[in-house]
Amino acid sequence: MFHEKDMTTDELEQLLAQQPVAVLHRLARGRVQRHFRAGKRRLIELLLQHSSQNRAGFESDLLTLIGERQAPSPSGASRNPGTPPIAHKRVAIRSSDLEPSEPPISLSEWLQGIGVPTPQPFVQDPWQIEALAAVSETDVVISVPTGSGKTYVAIEAAGRAMADNRSVIYTSPLKALSNTKYAEFSKIFGADKVGILTGDRQENGQAPLLVMTTEILRNLLYDAASGEIDVRLDTLGLVILDESQYLADPERGVVWEETIIFCPSQARLLLLSASIGNPQDIADWLTSIRATPCRLVRHSKRTVPLRAGYLHPNGRLTPLFRTLGIPQGHPGHLHPEAKHLFIEYEEETLPSGRPRR
Amino acid sequence: MPPSIHPVDLISALRQKHLTPAIVFLTSRRACDEAMEAFDHANCVLPTTRQEAIAKALEQVMARHPSIAEHPLISIVQRIGVAAHHAGHLPTWKIAIEELMRQGHLDAVFATTTLAAGVDFPARTVVITQSSIRKSRDFTDLTAGEVQQIAGRAGRRGKDHVGFAVITPSPYIDLSVLTKGLTGQPEAIDSQFTISYPMVLNLLKAHPHEHIQGILAKSFAQFQLNQRADVLEQKLDALHIKMEPFGPRVCTDWITQWHTFDHARRHRHTRHPTYRAEPPEISARLPFLTPGRVVGFSRGRGIVLRQYRSKGQRNSMLTVLRPENAVTECPVTSVKELYDHIYDCPETSAYPWCSTDTFDRLSHQLDELPLRLPLLPILVSSNSEPLPDAIVQSLEDFSCPTCPSRSACQKDFLTASRLRQEQQRHTKSIQALRTSLWHRFQERVEVLQKFGYLTLTTQLTAEGEWARLIRIDHSLLITELIRAEAFTGADPSLLAGILASLAHDDDRPGAFPRISPGLSSLLGQVRKLAESLSPYEDPPLLRADVAALVERWVADQTITWIGLCRLTTMAEGDIYRLLARSLEYLSQVQTLKGTHPGLAESASQAITAIRRGVLEELP
Ligand SMILES: Nc1ncnc2c1ncn2[C@@H]1O[C@H](COP(=O)(O)OP(=O)(O)OP(=O)(O)O)[C@@H](O)[C@H]1O
Ligand SMILES: [Mg+2]
Repeated sequence: MFHEKDMTTDELEQLLAQQPVAVLHRLARGRVQRHFRAGKRRLIELLLQHSSQNRAGFESDLLTLIGERQAPSPSGASRNPGTPPIAHKRVAIRSSDLEPSEPPISLSEWLQGIGVPTPQPFVQDPWQIEALAAVSETDVVISVPTGSGKTYVAIEAAGRAMADNRSVIYTSPLKALSNTKYAEFSKIFGADKVGILTGDRQENGQAPLLVMTTEILRNLLYDAASGEIDVRLDTLGLVILDESQYLADPERGVVWEETIIFCPSQARLLLLSASIGNPQDIADWLTSIRATPCRLVRHSKRTVPLRAGYLHPNGRLTPLFRTLGIPQGHPGHLHPEAKHLFIEYEEETLPSGRPRR
Repeated sequence: MPPSIHPVDLISALRQKHLTPAIVFLTSRRACDEAMEAFDHANCVLPTTRQEAIAKALEQVMARHPSIAEHPLISIVQRIGVAAHHAGHLPTWKIAIEELMRQGHLDAVFATTTLAAGVDFPARTVVITQSSIRKSRDFTDLTAGEVQQIAGRAGRRGKDHVGFAVITPSPYIDLSVLTKGLTGQPEAIDSQFTISYPMVLNLLKAHPHEHIQGILAKSFAQFQLNQRADVLEQKLDALHIKMEPFGPRVCTDWITQWHTFDHARRHRHTRHPTYRAEPPEISARLPFLTPGRVVGFSRGRGIVLRQYRSKGQRNSMLTVLRPENAVTECPVTSVKELYDHIYDCPETSAYPWCSTDTFDRLSHQLDELPLRLPLLPILVSSNSEPLPDAIVQSLEDFSCPTCPSRSACQKDFLTASRLRQEQQRHTKSIQALRTSLWHRFQERVEVLQKFGYLTLTTQLTAEGEWARLIRIDHSLLITELIRAEAFTGADPSLLAGILASLAHDDDRPGAFPRISPGLSSLLGQVRKLAESLSPYEDPPLLRADVAALVERWVADQTITWIGLCRLTTMAEGDIYRLLARSLEYLSQVQTLKGTHPGLAESASQAITAIRRGVLEELP
C-alpha cells in the first residue's frame, strides 16, 4: 500500500495504466500542456516523459491521488475537489474506510532503522537541479515538504546572481529567522557580501545580498515606485521569499501579495514554501502578472521518511498506524493497539456527558 | 492514571527507545515552564562529558550574546540536557537553544506550536500532545498544514534514517484532527488581501487613479475571485442554453408580463401591500438569500431554507437551519455574513420548506462546513429595481387572457422565472466578484478624502504626502494624532510610550508599573481620538501598562533589563517584543524629518535610548 521504496519505470507505467483517466488528468495538471486533448495512452506517455524531471514528486503526487480515490470522504458530493477533508469528530475511531488485509506492523519493525546514516558526499536532488536551472530564466515557486533543502536552492541561486553582478534580496517572515539566515549567509559568502535591514537599523546596507523581513522589502518597493530609492533596485536580480506560505496569514498575507505585485520585472522571484494545497494556483497567478511564465517545482515526498507513533500516558509505545509509513489518504488505518489505548484514554478522561470541548 | 504523561517519564521513554533528540510541543508557555520545573529533582542527569560539552557550547554563544549568562535555566539545561523554547524567552536565549540543538547536545526541547513554523530546528522525534492551538483568545483545531509543519520537524536530513512523530494524549485532544492532518493534503492558500490606508496613499502617489484598478487586478485576491467568477460564467452559459425554449413569445419579456398579470389576477380583491423600501445594502442581499445559501450570524452559521415576507415584519424574513437541527425564523438584517457556498435545496411548500432527505443532508453538511469560507462579495447599487409587486396595474391592461401563447406561458412560467432569477443572481455575483476590490479601494479613498489626505481628484494633499510614510497598523490614528499636534513638544519617552501602546496587540495581562501624569493624560487623549476614528479603523488595545513600561525604559537610562522585568509580570520575551515593535513604529515616525523635524528628532532620540543592553545584541 504505502511505498517507501522507489518504483521502476515499468511499475510506474503499469500503475498509471490502472488509473481512470480522470486521475491522469488531475496528475497532468500543471505538468503537461493541453493535457485535455490527449487520450489515455498518449497521456501516460506524456506523463512518463515529464516524470523524468522530478520523479519523486511525481510518484508521491500519484500515490496521494490514488489514496484520495480509495478513501472517498463521507460527504464528498458537496465538497470542492481542492479542499482537504474537514475534521469530523471520531471518524478516525469509526474507521470509515476499509482496513487493509495485511497484519498491522509490530513495534519492533516500527523502531527498526533508527540511527545516523554514514556521511554521504553532497549530491543535489533532482528537484534542486530543476529549480536552479529554472530560476536562471524565470520566476520559480517551490513547494516541497519541511526539511527538504530549500535553503540550498536559495544559496546557490543567490551565489549565481551575485557572480553575475546582480544583487539579491532574501526575505523571511520573522526577524528571528532573518537573523539566523544573516549569520548563515555571512559565513558562506563572507561578511562583506551580506547585509541586514530592519526598521531602524542597517548593517552593511550596500552589500549585494540583503536579508530583511518581507514588510521592509514591501516598504522599499513603495519608496522605489514613488522615486525615493534607498537601494539599487535596478541591479536587483533575484528576490527570494522564504516561508511564502505566509501568503495565507490573515494579518500579514497582504504584504506578500504587495511585494510580488511590485517586484521589479527584471528581478526573478523565487518563492520557497512548505507544502501547500494549491501551489499550481500560485504559479498560475505569477504567470498571469509577470513577464515570463512561472515554473512550479513541487513534490510531497519527504526526504527522511516519517513514521507516526502513539505513546500512552502509562509509558506504553505503539505504532499509530497499521502501516510502517504514514498511510496517505487513510486517516482511519489506525493500529489496533493505538486505537484500543486511545479509546481507553478517552473513557478515563472524559466522564460521560461532558462535552468534548 | 494521570491525564497526560509526566515530562520526566516522557523523556526517559524516548531515551530508552533511542528516539532523542526530540521536540515536545505543548499547549502553552506555562506548560513548557512547568515541564522544566518537573526536572528540578529528577535524577536523570547526563554523564559529565556531555554536561561539559553543553557548557562549552553555551560559552561560545555567550561570547556573542552576554545577556544569556544569567539565565535561570542554564544549570538545568546543562545537567539534564533538556530545555524550553517559547515566545516568553529572549531571542538570544532561543538562539542559544537552537544552537545547542543543532550541535546535538540536547535530548529534548519543550516548545509551543506557535513556534513550529519558520524556526530552523530539526530533531529525530516530534512529540505532539494536543490537537488545537490558542489563536487570539480562542482554541482552534490545527490545520493539516500546521500538523505537517509540526510533524515535519522530525527526521534530520543526513542525521537520521527516519523521523518519528509521536502522539501522546492530553485531555481534550481530538485524535482525528491529528490523523487527518498527518495523512491528508495541506490546505489551499486563500488570499487575505486587504486594502489599507497607506496602501491607497502609496498607490496614488506612484500611479494615476485610472491605473489602480489594473494594479489591484494583479493581486492573488483578484486571481482567486476571477476563478470563482469563471465558474459562475460557465454556469451562466449553461443557463443560457436552458433558457433557449423560453425566448421571446408574443411579448418579448413574457416572463415579467405573466408575473405581473398573475399577481394582479390573484390580488384583485386585496389591497396592494406597500412594502417599506429596504435600505440598499439589505435589498442587494435579497437575491442571494435563496434556499441552500450558507450564512453567518453573530453566533454560528446556518443554511437558508426559504425567504418570505411577513405582515408584521418590516424586513424580509428567513427560515434558517441552524446547528443541531434547529429551525429558526429571523429577519434578513440579522444575517452578518453571506458565504460563497450554496447547497442544493429544492424548496417545498410546507415546513421545513424542503424534503426530509434534503433536510438531513443539509444538517449534516452544516456540521461538516470548513472553518473558513469565502465571503460572497455583493455590490450595493443605490437605485434598486422596483419590485414587480409595486407596479400597480389593473387587469384590463393585460392582453394575456386572450393571447394565443397564454397556455404556454402559464405552463412555463415557474421554470422560466426560476432560471431567469438564477441568471440574474449569477450575473450580479460575477459583477461583484470582478469589481469588489475596486469598490473597497474607492471606500478607502472616500475616507482619505474626508480626512483631507487626498484631494477630490485623488491627488495626495500635503498631509497625504507625509502620511503615506506611516505604513503600520493604526496608521490613520497615528497620522491624525500627529495632525492634532498631540506629540508637539512631547518628550521622547512619552512618544515611545504612546507608540508602544499602539504597537502592542497582545492581551496577555501584565502588572501596572507607575504611570506618569503626562503619559496618562496623553493616553486619555489618544483613547478619545481612537474611539472617534473607530468607524474607519479598528481601535488599538492602548494598554497603559505597556506604555508606562516603555516610557520608563526610555526615560530612565539607569534601569537595567532585570530591573525593567521586575516592574511587570510580562515575560521577558514579551517585553523584548514590545520594545522591538516600538522601535519599528518609532522608525516610521523618524522618516517624517522633512515635514516634522521636531517629531522625527524626538523619535530618533527615543530609538537611541531604547537600543541598549539586550536590545543591542541583535540587529
Ligand atoms: N541534496 C541534499 N543532500 C543532502 N542533504 C541536503 C541536500 N539539500 C539540503 N540538504 C540538507 O537538508 C537540511 C534541511 O534543509 P533546509 O533547512 O534547507 O530545509 P527547508 O526545505 O528549508 O525546510 P523548512 O521548511 O524547515 O525551512 C539541511 O541540513 C541541508 O544541509
Ligand atoms: Mg527553510
